Amino acid sequence: MNNKLKVLRAMRNWSQAELADRLDVSRQAVNAIETGKYDPSLPLAFKLARLFEMPIEDIFDDGFAGQE
Amino acid sequence: MTNMPKERRAGPGYLWPVAIIMIAGAVAGAFAGYSDGLAETGGQPLPTWAGPVAALVLALAGMALYIRLNREAWAGWSPRKRLYWVTMVASMSLGAGVALTLQVAQGSGDLASDAPLTPATAIIVSVIWVVGMSVASLFYFRAVDDHERHAYYLGSVAGFHAFVIACPVWWVAARASLAPPVGAMALFVLTLAVNLIVYLWFKYR
Repeated sequence: MNNKLKVLRAMRNWSQAELADRLDVSRQAVNAIETGKYDPSLPLAFKLARLFEMPIEDIFDDGFAGQE
Repeated sequence: MTNMPKERRAGPGYLWPVAIIMIAGAVAGAFAGYSDGLAETGGQPLPTWAGPVAALVLALAGMALYIRLNREAWAGWSPRKRLYWVTMVASMSLGAGVALTLQVAQGSGDLASDAPLTPATAIIVSVIWVVGMSVASLFYFRAVDDHERHAYYLGSVAGFHAFVIACPVWWVAARASLAPPVGAMALFVLTLAVNLIVYLWFKYR
């Protein structure tokens, strides 16, 4: 699944480690989500949405947006 | 992307704990080598507990110093992260405790051998393992984040498959005199190794 995490993080000038601390996850978790190697659980996706003050679908793209 | 922040790792990092454990292991090896050398030249070998105890003392002292030098970094950690690392260190200590007990009880020789043990040693090691693993697993699952839990589950499934594939094949091969008798520790090590490799791959790739 594609996501804008890297861009959103860069806009705030946070390192992966800083974002990981804010989410209370490991730096490897942030890296894996950013590179698309791991899709976060729903609770973590909501946590990201709250942190960036955006809807989940503005952060993550499953490739089916607008096709329904 | 031109405005990417430079990546850096929060906290003190893993290098020193790994180095401390490796140095402690090397000290235990040096004690064993020295003791063997004494025995070969007709001297009195060192007690079997000397090397493991020296390594344990060195590792504990090194870790205590490491924790003290980095105490400001720990203060900023979340309760989850602290619990995670406490569980990690406790689990490693558990393994070291079992290895030390076995080494002291059986004297020299391979730790994974099938050499006889006294009932007391078997009971002590079993209790440490059962209670320690149960408690450590409980705390581990309360402390991991979902990415690591995912890696752990995949590692566990891979380890399980390694066992269920290898064990019956070895068993029938042994019954047909094509292989030595099934070795519990060999299967244990295989399961653990596959589990660890897959877990590390999914956590750090």
